[in-house]
Amino acid sequence: MLFNSISFAVFLPVVFLLYWFVARKSLRGQNVLLLIASYFFYGSWDYRFLFLLIFSTFLDYFTGIKIHEAETRKRKKIWLWLSITINLGFLGVFKYYNFFAASFAGALSLVGFHADYFTLQVILPVGISFYTFHGLSYVLDLYNDRIKPERDFINYAVFVSFFPLLVAGPIERATHLLPQIIRKRDFDYHQAMDGLRQMLWGFFKKMVIADNCAIYVNDIFSHSSGYSGSTLVLGTMFFAFQVYGDFSGYSDIALGTARLFGINLLRNFAFPFFARDIAEFWRRWHISLTTWFRDYLYIPLGGNRGGKWMSIRNMFIVFLVSGFWHGANWTYIVWGLLNAIYFLPLLLLHKTKQNVEIVAKGRLFPSLKELTGMIVTFALILFSFIFFRARDLHHAFAYTAKIFSPSLFSLPHFKGDEKIAPLAILILVFFLIEWIGREEQYAIEKIGLKWHKAVRWALYYTLVMAIFLFAGKEQAFIYFQF
Amino acid sequence: MKKFLAEVLVFLIILLISFYLTFMRANGKTDPFYLRFTSPKQHSLILGTSRAAQGIQPSVLDSILPGSGFYNYSFTIGHSPYGPAYLNSIKKKLDHQTKNGIFILSVDPWSISSNANDPNNPDRFRERKLAIGKTPVVNIRPNFFYLINAYDKPFYHLLPRQKSSIILRDDGWLDVKFKIDSLKMEQLIEKKVDSYRKNNLKKYKFSDVRLEYLTKTITYLKNFGRVYLVRLPVHPRMMEIDEEFIPDFDQKIRQISEQTGTPYFDMSFMNDSILYTDGNHIYRESGKVVSARIGEWIAGQEQ
Repeated sequence: MLFNSISFAVFLPVVFLLYWFVARKSLRGQNVLLLIASYFFYGSWDYRFLFLLIFSTFLDYFTGIKIHEAETRKRKKIWLWLSITINLGFLGVFKYYNFFAASFAGALSLVGFHADYFTLQVILPVGISFYTFHGLSYVLDLYNDRIKPERDFINYAVFVSFFPLLVAGPIERATHLLPQIIRKRDFDYHQAMDGLRQMLWGFFKKMVIADNCAIYVNDIFSHSSGYSGSTLVLGTMFFAFQVYGDFSGYSDIALGTARLFGINLLRNFAFPFFARDIAEFWRRWHISLTTWFRDYLYIPLGGNRGGKWMSIRNMFIVFLVSGFWHGANWTYIVWGLLNAIYFLPLLLLHKTKQNVEIVAKGRLFPSLKELTGMIVTFALILFSFIFFRARDLHHAFAYTAKIFSPSLFSLPHFKGDEKIAPLAILILVFFLIEWIGREEQYAIEKIGLKWHKAVRWALYYTLVMAIFLFAGKEQAFIYFQF
Repeated sequence: MKKFLAEVLVFLIILLISFYLTFMRANGKTDPFYLRFTSPKQHSLILGTSRAAQGIQPSVLDSILPGSGFYNYSFTIGHSPYGPAYLNSIKKKLDHQTKNGIFILSVDPWSISSNANDPNNPDRFRERKLAIGKTPVVNIRPNFFYLINAYDKPFYHLLPRQKSSIILRDDGWLDVKFKIDSLKMEQLIEKKVDSYRKNNLKKYKFSDVRLEYLTKTITYLKNFGRVYLVRLPVHPRMMEIDEEFIPDFDQKIRQISEQTGTPYFDMSFMNDSILYTDGNHIYRESGKVVSARIGEWIAGQEQ
């Protein structure tokens, strides 16, 4: 069940009304309803994957208690590794087995051996990377004595399976979400309205910006050999807008939906395309994953405590693993590597935290230095996105080579370019609104709040009508595949 | 909570009215299919692919067979080859009170073929995922089902006064209205023939299942009136491709005609005397002649 589907438009109001009218009197009732709704939501993709989700939930619930109860550090470690091994084992089988088998056979053939290997004909269970990391953070926090185990299975299962975040995050932390799950929620008008507003902006990003860009991205990337360098640059820009609109739009819808149920989820995006350097970009892009890797990989590896070379090594590991997390393809690994390379100068010069505040805070326009920083960062990100989007490395290199050819200086021309004007205007308006609202949690959070109610609602009406009139062909969310 | 629900409800009502008004702007210029899913249930139907959609004009038939009230419910080779989805849609479009309906089933080799790898697996028929398979209700206006599931452009296209040389008329006839000179006609024929030879001829395969569904469609419609099979004229060069594709096509149709007791009118004798927009589709002026001939033939059969 996609957020941008008719079935979700029916599902959400039904669950909302049951939650606040039937189950509102008891915490138990609220959580049981959320769990049933979440399993229904997940099962609507493929009910067979539900068993995997329930097994994964039970595994972490059980090992979590065992970790807590273990009397020695050694026993705690055994339970921790059991959980990690099984969790990553599932992820490995479903997501990475075919990649490793093919890569291993490929490596052997390079040294003259021929290896037959078999591939698994399995479909990747939707959201497996997200809920696996979700569960892992819980057992790791328990192991590090940051939290106490949740002994109520229903509460824990809601923490793992809460439907707004189940298939594409944000990757929650037990320290943040569990306290909200074990506390009865009361309806709050302002929180619910804020949720609807955030959902509205998310739908706009997804259905208007991302889905319309997708049409051109698919065509340009599929037929890249026949297009000029300038067209390929434009194709990459469209992809940047697509992937941002798609994933940050999904996150906004997820956060907004959760607010309707009285739950606040972690922020996942903070206007990354206004970042002035790569370090800032990564503090603003897919924040829940970046901080996950920081807390559960970078810091345990030693972080920056072991000197410069240790920091560099750890930073490269984090980016490579992050790339690999996105998919079993060398393109993602190169994408991660590129970002690590971009990050390196900042690390060496101790400038990773030179841009912490949002750009041009309290001002309308950025300074020339800020503008330059944003443009350079955006260009670097665009280049790395070629690898993120290409079907394989060969395609990515051919695409790049074509960009850096004389045709870069020709006028872009692609299928359907005569109809591009409405989309170009929409993208412009979109970035203008994002710029205006860049100091808030999401772009339209505060826009119009001081206006007369009728005017404010007219703004929301305009946005809904824009979604209705300009929505592109329905596309699945990109991050579902991860 | 009450305030929240009340505000959301009012907002939703305003939105739904706006959506409704936008959808009401959809008309015969919206696309070549929409209007057919908005007209009431019908009692005399013209069925087939785009050859029939463009080639058979209900108004001409009505003038020869008064009171018939023909409706053209033909689409394209993608949407409406004979098969389960089309039959299902026909059942929905047909007024079940009909007793003396007239049903003209246009047949051509492509209407009993499939471009799926397995031409006999109905699950692979592409019309399942097109308007004909995705529109569960075929007689409401505005048709939300069609516009949401099958309309393939953003809805802002519905807002301005639409200009189009392709107009779907109220009786379901697809009126392709453009001026044509002999040079342009030759170019269009060349292009279409080339496309059929390079693409369709290679990709399509005869389908026993579709042929079976042609028979099922005939049998079903016979419960509501008389059924007639017609093979429309096509340009001689297109005819060559048709014959190359299914050489015994005519034989197959005659066999069905005999088995089901359905008269069959092979109009290929008119191939040379008709004007076409592209070799595959009959030009609107020639369409009048062809429709009149069909009307006269049916009138003759009914005497």
